[in-house]
Amino acid sequence: MEMVPETEIQDEGILKQQREIEKEVAEIHPLVGNKQPLTCLLKEYMDDPIYTNKLTKLAGVYQSIRRVRPDGNCFFRGFGFSYFERLLDNEEEWKTFQAIVMGTKDQLISQGFPKFTLEDFFDSFMEVVNRLGGEGKMDAEELSRIFNDAGTSDYLVVYLRLVTSGQLQKEEDFYQNFLEGGKSMREFCQQEVEPMYRESDHMHAIALGSALKVGIRVVYLDRGEITTSPPEHDFPEDCTPSVYLLYRPGHYDILYK
Amino acid sequence: MSTPARRRLMRDFKRLQEDPPAGVSGAPTDNNIMIWNAVIFGPHDTPFEDGTFKLTIEFTEEYPNKPPTVRFVSKMFHPNVYADGGICLDILQNRWSPTYDVSAILTSIQSLLSDPNPNSPANSMAAQLYKENRREYEKRVKACVEQSWMD
Repeated sequence: MEMVPETEIQDEGILKQQREIEKEVAEIHPLVGNKQPLTCLLKEYMDDPIYTNKLTKLAGVYQSIRRVRPDGNCFFRGFGFSYFERLLDNEEEWKTFQAIVMGTKDQLISQGFPKFTLEDFFDSFMEVVNRLGGEGKMDAEELSRIFNDAGTSDYLVVYLRLVTSGQLQKEEDFYQNFLEGGKSMREFCQQEVEPMYRESDHMHAIALGSALKVGIRVVYLDRGEITTSPPEHDFPEDCTPSVYLLYRPGHYDILYK
Repeated sequence: MSTPARRRLMRDFKRLQEDPPAGVSGAPTDNNIMIWNAVIFGPHDTPFEDGTFKLTIEFTEEYPNKPPTVRFVSKMFHPNVYADGGICLDILQNRWSPTYDVSAILTSIQSLLSDPNPNSPANSMAAQLYKENRREYEKRVKACVEQSWMD
């Protein structure tokens, strides 16, 4: 599912073709799917001993998977859904998170993000967060409906992207070390973080996890050597994970223990 | 029906009225919030000065997650404007950010008039004249300025 970075695409014909592919993907995959047993992945890799072996080991630790549409936003959408779902059952943590999110708005405005448009995304994000606990609490079904409504779901993704961009720029001295090819952090954020549909890697994960104080564990499932079990990484390092994601090259889905 | 795109466009419109940037204006067409008409006044101290250039902006329900299609309706002679009025500007293509609003789009196009980028030409004649024969370039632009008053 590796996509050519759009920065290299100028040709209108190629862009048009890419739009058509996006449309096809959207027709097949819901933005956030239903929970399925992890073993359902075994069917996809029946002829592949490496994947089968790794998946069997993984199924000893994780019970289920929830697929996220592979549209380049899967990291952010998967993170958002998974964490919000957790908050529905954790009233205290919800209150803390509400306060953290409240703080992000002024932080981003003070960093020079345009107030007018930022507020639009913040308001939509906060509206959903406010209903993850307390009196007007939504249920899991409604959360799923919200994440499958493209308009609202994409607004949530945008705000998470802006928070990530803000964190990367605020802690530029640290994150600069990950940058390749002489790009400035501002340029990187403009090209790889803020625009929708751009894929994420560990840098995005560390920044988002640190900004919102949420631990993320990513399990890597790929064609690498058969090891004892698929490698896991926590972002930020040494955190207690609250969100579990399965990474297969180019794509993230949600995992459940 | 209110969708995030329509809600956001109403906000964009309100902001453009309350806090209008110098030299640009825009408004939705009478019966469709998804299609706007806009005008960019040619920036001072450029060959585009005194021009009133009309544009259309077409939004989809994916706005602001995807950029709108912006096109000059007035005839233009500019290195980064195609013959059909289409505009070659990075923020309207691969560097689009959902934090841009209509106001930001129009002011970016306004600055493109002042500072063309002849290295990614949409009109190769304009780009060549801009680089090699500035006097002729300005003459051709002036003709567009005068024509813009007639539209």
